[in-house]
Amino acid sequence: MSNLIYEAVNWNKPTSELSQIFWDQQWKQIWFPEEIAVSKDVKQWQSFEHQETYKKVFAGLTLLDTVQTNIGMNQIATYATDLQEKAVFTVFGAFEAIHAKSYSYIFTTLCTNAEIDELFEWVKKNEYLQYKANKIGDIYKGIETENPESLWKAMFSSVMLESFLFYSGFFYPLYLGGQGILRNAAEVISLILRDESIHGVAVGFFAQNLFKQFKKEKQDELKIWGYELLLDLYQNEMSYTDDIYAETGLSPDVKVYVRYNANKALMNVGFEAMFPEEEVNPIVMNGIRNEGSTYDFFSQKGSSYAKAKVAPITDDTFRFNNRM
Amino acid sequence: MKTYLKLNNDVLNRYNTTGQLELEKDREATRRYFLEYVNVRLRYFIDIEEKIRYLIEEGYYEKEFLEQYDLEFIKRLYKKAYDYNFRFPSFMSASKFYDSYAMKSRDGEEILEKYEDRIVIIALYLAQGDTELAERAVEAMMKAYQPATPTALNSGKKARGELVSCFKLSMDDSMNSIAENIGYCLELSRLGGGVGVNLTDLRPLGDPIKGIANRASGVIPVAKLLENSFSYSNQLGQRNGSGVAYLNIFHADIENFISSKKPNADDKIRLATLSTGIILPSIFFELMKQDKDIVLFSPYDIYQEYGKRMSEISITEMYYELLDNPNIRKIKRLNARKLYTEVKKAQFESGYPFEIFDDNVNEVHPLKGIGRVQMSNLCTEILQLQQKSIITDQDEPNKYGLDVSCNLGSIDIHEASQVDDFGRLVDTAMRLLTNVSQMTYIKNVPSVAKANKLMHSVGLGVMNLHGHLVTQGIEYGSKESIEFIDAFMEALNYYSLKSSMEIAKERGETFYKFEESEYANGKYFDSYVNKAANVIKPKVTQALGSVPIITSNMWEQLAQEVKKYGLYNSYRIAIPPTGSISYIRSCTASIAPCTERVEVRDYADSRTIYPMPYLTNDNAHLYVEAYDVNPYDLIDLYAAAQKHVDQGISMTLYVTDAWTTEQLAKVYVYAWIRGIKSVYYVRQRLQTLEECVACQI
Repeated sequence: MSNLIYEAVNWNKPTSELSQIFWDQQWKQIWFPEEIAVSKDVKQWQSFEHQETYKKVFAGLTLLDTVQTNIGMNQIATYATDLQEKAVFTVFGAFEAIHAKSYSYIFTTLCTNAEIDELFEWVKKNEYLQYKANKIGDIYKGIETENPESLWKAMFSSVMLESFLFYSGFFYPLYLGGQGILRNAAEVISLILRDESIHGVAVGFFAQNLFKQFKKEKQDELKIWGYELLLDLYQNEMSYTDDIYAETGLSPDVKVYVRYNANKALMNVGFEAMFPEEEVNPIVMNGIRNEGSTYDFFSQKGSSYAKAKVAPITDDTFRFNNRM
Repeated sequence: MKTYLKLNNDVLNRYNTTGQLELEKDREATRRYFLEYVNVRLRYFIDIEEKIRYLIEEGYYEKEFLEQYDLEFIKRLYKKAYDYNFRFPSFMSASKFYDSYAMKSRDGEEILEKYEDRIVIIALYLAQGDTELAERAVEAMMKAYQPATPTALNSGKKARGELVSCFKLSMDDSMNSIAENIGYCLELSRLGGGVGVNLTDLRPLGDPIKGIANRASGVIPVAKLLENSFSYSNQLGQRNGSGVAYLNIFHADIENFISSKKPNADDKIRLATLSTGIILPSIFFELMKQDKDIVLFSPYDIYQEYGKRMSEISITEMYYELLDNPNIRKIKRLNARKLYTEVKKAQFESGYPFEIFDDNVNEVHPLKGIGRVQMSNLCTEILQLQQKSIITDQDEPNKYGLDVSCNLGSIDIHEASQVDDFGRLVDTAMRLLTNVSQMTYIKNVPSVAKANKLMHSVGLGVMNLHGHLVTQGIEYGSKESIEFIDAFMEALNYYSLKSSMEIAKERGETFYKFEESEYANGKYFDSYVNKAANVIKPKVTQALGSVPIITSNMWEQLAQEVKKYGLYNSYRIAIPPTGSISYIRSCTASIAPCTERVEVRDYADSRTIYPMPYLTNDNAHLYVEAYDVNPYDLIDLYAAAQKHVDQGISMTLYVTDAWTTEQLAKVYVYAWIRGIKSVYYVRQRLQTLEECVACQI
């Protein structure tokens, strides 16, 4: 038996700045795919022109979320030193698992079993998908104990995955949903996005804190490493976009969106944006708003209800000094 | 991609990134929408005669109502409507009209009606051959009056739904009544209605049946049956059926009922699509204030002991009597504050239940001599008395009581302040609503048909308050805004009474039991007749425009005329939440504050961006969003309007996730103290991460 000293996580005393906030925000947003009636999309789906693209987009997203659940958040949680941060990463991992499962929920609702099997085979064979999974998976697996540099690289990669690589896929459901096509599947995506945007900000924030501890020379070295990784992934993402969006004619629009999000990912880790500003398709931009949009009580489930903060009713509840 | 959608979306996108409104993009979106979508689908007719002939022959319009007029008159009426040179003020209004309201060919490919055409047809249909009323209807609708969606949508069409779409039913504690009412729900839901059902009189879980203890299943399984009925009968899948179940907070099943809407509720009790509402007598608030327990009762005991149903008695008056009576079981004791905290938790997590303040409703109920108001409808603005039907076995005839169908229309406050004759506008609206009530015959729900025939109830509402206040430089929730709505609603109340009195005088007929109402004995008018003269700030006078200030002398005179001639309508005013109809008219909804300056509206099939009416870069600061309005000011404003409303007002409360359940409870307590009758949804805005982190880093 080893003779380690185990320390218990103590939430009574903040040990990590903002951990509590990220934790609260994530739990407040809890949702399950079954709450959204994707079956309402079935009718539109049957006559939908670009089924192939749509399915591949979702299959690609499933792979990224799988990598993020099984390797990414697990590895980062294992090697992060602060116990509260570890807890936050573990919770994030659980949400990634919900996301990965929610794509399957959409597949089950819209596709036949044979189609689904075929898609998961396609995932294994698509070179661009496998390239990004391998690239980032290797960095995750390369984290070492007592090596903050390797941990930072994993966090950097995690932000690239969540704030940048997902978006070539998110584009399509948002673009369609904004035009009233397959709106319920788009609702699932907007809930996933709402989570991913916390993950991007949170992991990016922790990465920045870690980065500050490095010496100037090391920082410069990591910066170069980071931009090189981003460029490498970017080239791959351009090819991936051409590959899956070819039949829709949307590639140029998707690429603008990918660059826009690459810039946001860089800003999350505290780096300068790299691509010049471009105008993103406004329908897609409006799809990523996180505030609850105006709720139509007779239609969709709104995304804006959350857990209550309980406080007891007291005598003060019945006092209105200034108003009565 | 449709370029008009892109342009419309761009309005929000630019506003979010630069903070500047680019309304020309919305105008361009509207223009492109006509070019790309409307004009190419619009069926061309040589003239009006051909249009009408075609639409009748092809079975789109009913023939009978058009035959009441001569063709020359109809032509003149069309011209009158077209002379207003109507233009859709926003992309939202145009797309909403053509998507949902305009008559289309059966395959959906051709558009057969423009905006003016629909207005003329509604006017001709509702005026029932009265040419003067038809002309007045066109004037009113082209300017300031909008019938509710079912009337606007269905008038004059051959294949049509009902002109009304909102109903209240009351279930009795018998299997016959449960089955009968579920049948009604299926029927009304088929017609596209939203239905409220009161479950207060059903015996709770574990009560005896035929004297054998522990046999009753309580209200939740009945609520589930209702939910399934509404989802089954959903207008060929066009829209989910909708309904609300109400329960008194002193009913023994209340705890399960409150938690039934929580997303994590047990599947056996979870109500996924049925809305819920609770009825709160004032004694509940009194006990809560004193931090006492409340006792839950069974309506079965109450009926056995007093021969009255739970919803037929005032719990506030009877509470201690019920406690002292040994024949009334004290089924459960609960701490009032803890129970109400559970209500607030459920509201944070689901927006439900709605709340009806029983005594605030019934104390000022002008028909209190005739019966109690026991419940409300799907939007909590309809508050009318009901009488229970006795549903007998199949070999005896049923004895039908009174249930409710609501027949609504709304006046655009901004336009109304600019018409030549406000009284005439209100009178036109009242006459159109009265005709709708007469033309409505829900034959398969006899209690509704009977009430409609006897009561002639209508619900005239208002919309565009926030929009109008912005044009007048008045901030929502300010003293001026409260003074404004107070004076405006007083005038609306006055002229609707006057109109109802005139109709009674002309027809020589009043509503059922008018002579037992507070209108007949004059009590209703006391506070108006004895009021001090209104002192009105200049800014408010300007905002009122052509809306007259009503003096106590005017009230005194009206009271005498009402006494003499009676009233035709048992109920007159109710302010609905106005969803779709405020969008086609480019109004802000109801008397509510806007929720977003540039609103994102998600419908079942599309997302539309809607900049608030009259919004410019210069007045944006006046469009305070609902979540930033002080909730106590909002309640004061609604309370000022409520004084002049014989029924209710749909009032939504807006909170952020920073609020606690206690803060929410306090706002409700305040609403109860201020005489508010009902609270509709609690809407919540989640703070986004940027906001939370921003105040930390």
